[in-house]
Amino acid sequence: MTQPTLVFLHALGASGREWDLVRRHLPDHRCLALDLPGFGDRADEGYADVAAMADDLAAFIRRERLTACVLVGHSMGGKIVTLVAARAMSGEAGLAGVLGVVLVAASPPCPEPITDDRRAQMIGWAADGPVARADAETFVAANTAAPLPEALREQAIADVERSSRQAWLGWLERGSREDWRPAAAGIAIPALIVAGGEDGDLGEAAQRRLNLPLYANAAFRVVDGAAHLIPYEQPAALARLIADHAATVAKTALPAHFVGLLGSARVSRRTRAAMLERTRPLADDAAGWSEAQLDAVAALVAQVLPELGADRALARRIGAAVHGPGDGWRFADLPPDVEAWTRGLATLDALTGGFAAQSPSEQHDWLARIDAGQAGSGDGDGADRLSPAQMALWFQDVRAEIARQWMATPAAMAAIGYDGFAVGGDGARKQGYVRIAADDVEQWQHAAEAQS
Amino acid sequence: MSRAPFADHDIVDAVVIGTGAGGAPLLARLAEAGLSVVALEAGRAFRPEEHVADELAADIYWTEERLSGGDDPTAFGSNNSGIGVGGSTLHWGAFCPRPDPRDLQLKTLTGQGADWPLAHAELTDYIRRVEAFTGVSGPSSYPWDATRHYAYPPVARNASAAAMARGCAALGITAADAPAALVSRDRDQPHWGQRQACVNCGTCHQGCRNAAKTSMDTSYLPHAVAHGAEVRAGARVLSFDIDGAGRITGVVYRQQGEDRRQRCRAVFLCAGGVETPRLLLNLGIANSSGQIGRNFMAHVATQVWGSFDAEMRMNRGYPSSLITEDLLRPERAGFAGGYLIQSLGVLPVNLATGLARGAGMWGERLQRLLHQYNRLAGIGINGDCLPHHDNRLTLSDEVDAFGHRKARIDFSYHANERAIDRHARQTMTAIWDAAGASDIFAVARSAHTIGTCRMGDNGDEAVVDAEGRSFDIPNLLVCDNSVFPSALAANPALTIMALSLRTADRYLAASF
Repeated sequence: MTQPTLVFLHALGASGREWDLVRRHLPDHRCLALDLPGFGDRADEGYADVAAMADDLAAFIRRERLTACVLVGHSMGGKIVTLVAARAMSGEAGLAGVLGVVLVAASPPCPEPITDDRRAQMIGWAADGPVARADAETFVAANTAAPLPEALREQAIADVERSSRQAWLGWLERGSREDWRPAAAGIAIPALIVAGGEDGDLGEAAQRRLNLPLYANAAFRVVDGAAHLIPYEQPAALARLIADHAATVAKTALPAHFVGLLGSARVSRRTRAAMLERTRPLADDAAGWSEAQLDAVAALVAQVLPELGADRALARRIGAAVHGPGDGWRFADLPPDVEAWTRGLATLDALTGGFAAQSPSEQHDWLARIDAGQAGSGDGDGADRLSPAQMALWFQDVRAEIARQWMATPAAMAAIGYDGFAVGGDGARKQGYVRIAADDVEQWQHAAEAQS
Repeated sequence: MSRAPFADHDIVDAVVIGTGAGGAPLLARLAEAGLSVVALEAGRAFRPEEHVADELAADIYWTEERLSGGDDPTAFGSNNSGIGVGGSTLHWGAFCPRPDPRDLQLKTLTGQGADWPLAHAELTDYIRRVEAFTGVSGPSSYPWDATRHYAYPPVARNASAAAMARGCAALGITAADAPAALVSRDRDQPHWGQRQACVNCGTCHQGCRNAAKTSMDTSYLPHAVAHGAEVRAGARVLSFDIDGAGRITGVVYRQQGEDRRQRCRAVFLCAGGVETPRLLLNLGIANSSGQIGRNFMAHVATQVWGSFDAEMRMNRGYPSSLITEDLLRPERAGFAGGYLIQSLGVLPVNLATGLARGAGMWGERLQRLLHQYNRLAGIGINGDCLPHHDNRLTLSDEVDAFGHRKARIDFSYHANERAIDRHARQTMTAIWDAAGASDIFAVARSAHTIGTCRMGDNGDEAVVDAEGRSFDIPNLLVCDNSVFPSALAANPALTIMALSLRTADRYLAASF
């Protein structure tokens, strides 16, 4: 499986170089470490506010045509990463390839929890000019659990010194204080949130309180032996965490050509957001199934669409639909959807002695009998079961819901070569199709498929 | 003349419930005539570009639960029921054949079904007005009606249409570019703005994003508003105030969680073939005939599918770009009425659901066919359905979020529908075989919600009279597909819009 590209964003007073050691531990990944405006090699660009820095990252993702990437943000860079992840969620063009997020001791979208004294001290360092050597030394020492090896320490200090004074002050006086919470909530892109075991203001407690709740699918890790400058302090441990997260989200990657098309101006923002939402994992509680029900529904998926196998991710999505607002109708001979599925699954298990544990051919035979109206609960079996006639109707619902939920996933659309979502962006004229006769395929369709 | 916005305590001339094909044209006509009118729409308002080219994300379907029973339960939701300012015209397919004169006299001509209590010529006159006002694309010469002309050139035939043309030609069946309620050239719609030419995007059923398709929110409703009407979105009707003389004096509705009351002199109930009878049954009014909910009809909408060697990519293009009316009265048919055939462009989720439900598929075959999506194509019918007493809408014991009992619709094909279905399967299979399709199969399906408040000349057998007026409540009028005495083979929306204008004209003539 192709591993996603890793895009790294640095902290205040640092540069893309802060990731050098981490990258050395990730030899199998394409790694791109940016300098944000005002820092590193871009120090002469001065202060870019939070929105401009997010624009900068989004433009970079578009320019590099990243179709599968994980955004890694350290401290200040974490705030930028979260805002771009939120923009990807909302369907912004060109960000369809953002598969995952790693926040490293990240600044949250809300005002950063920093004491007034510390903020005043850091602002004071730049009162008359760029941060001086002695203050930079203080800064690096204050943000590390133990002294860094000399070469690293020198690099970290040098990056502070060469930071633009405007950018340093801009972040402390404004950027870190800006409240972006309304724009960043309920982000379903899978996130790994990392805290330094000995960090201060942005340590574990702050990460749990300020960043974790924003992500619907988040894992949380604490790196021991590190304070705030984790990429310098524990590069191997951090690289391992990043690699694991990248491997997890790589499974949700779509073919590059498909992501390119989905990210293009042929697709409206609403359409893109709706499709991408279906690529994100659903939590068990959103699915509404018990563990046993999830097993049974996954087994049904494998019967209705055998190539998927016991696809638990799709089974969860089906659960969310069944427990959701409904599609406008149900069979009068069945109870309401949730009850019908509960009773249908219970009847299935009662008939088979545990449906998920049966062999595929046994499962198939049971479903064929159910489809024919020949298997179900008898009269004396109680109200928590379905009769043979009801089971036949319920199995129709099961087939339809599985087919419908699978077909609506971008992965399925890519698999069948469907591009009907790319027929109109948000411009004044919708693109549609110019050629519609059999075998007459347009260049953009060819181009998309040639890359696959 | 008083104009919008109206206050609740103003006594407006009319409240129109529903803003779809039944409510919008008459709202415009009444406003044009100087009446003070308020439309109440349960759903929200959309701008065309807000629609989403995704089958699950599209939010223009009535998704409150209905219970579907009988031997051939019909599907609701995205299959036939809309919500939002514009009603079902937001999602309709825009396929707009005119009704055949024989279909309006089915009882007289065949002894079966019911006659319409109005003349085909009068209906056609209103249909022409609707076509002129909204802009319809179609062939310059229509094979089954020499008098007919369409304002815009036909939309391009897609791969399914070309295949159907091939198959029909081989069998000696006449086929033609379909009348489509969309504009194939840019058009300036008065009081709304530019409706752009259809761009063949294929997502009519998810809402037209460039306003090419006729939809009430980009045609009659802005016309109505320009003439002083008020359209209230998110306004769900709960009940009526009825005075001692049995006349409605106000409409109680809920908007943003608040119960409000609009006083009025008349009510036009245009909520569609399910919500219209459901509201009346819930309120227990206008039903001295006992006919409300009876005679529910759904068109026989069987489809035949097959695989082609070529890349069809049937999602491209206007979905129903070819028609034949040759099967409206087939010889030696053995049934009353007939059916239209159209080429199909169906999006993947709809196809998947159809295969799983209507063709009973699962496992390897379902999977293989879905992977073949780009090489599949289909044709389908809209077949007449006779009114039957036992096909009916009743109230379930379950209640909705507004305290109203849910609708239960029992629907079963009788001999005539089964005969149409059988005949159509044979015809379409032959066409598809001649077109070069392989692995041909059928999908059972029914469509549209018709007949539940039938119009007629006699208050013992009908809910409303020939002008749409309730036999019981003199200032209650009904206009939507529930008043149809019979289903007609033609898809209903064009007829509903025409009836809507006629209902308004008759009301104005009688009242002023």
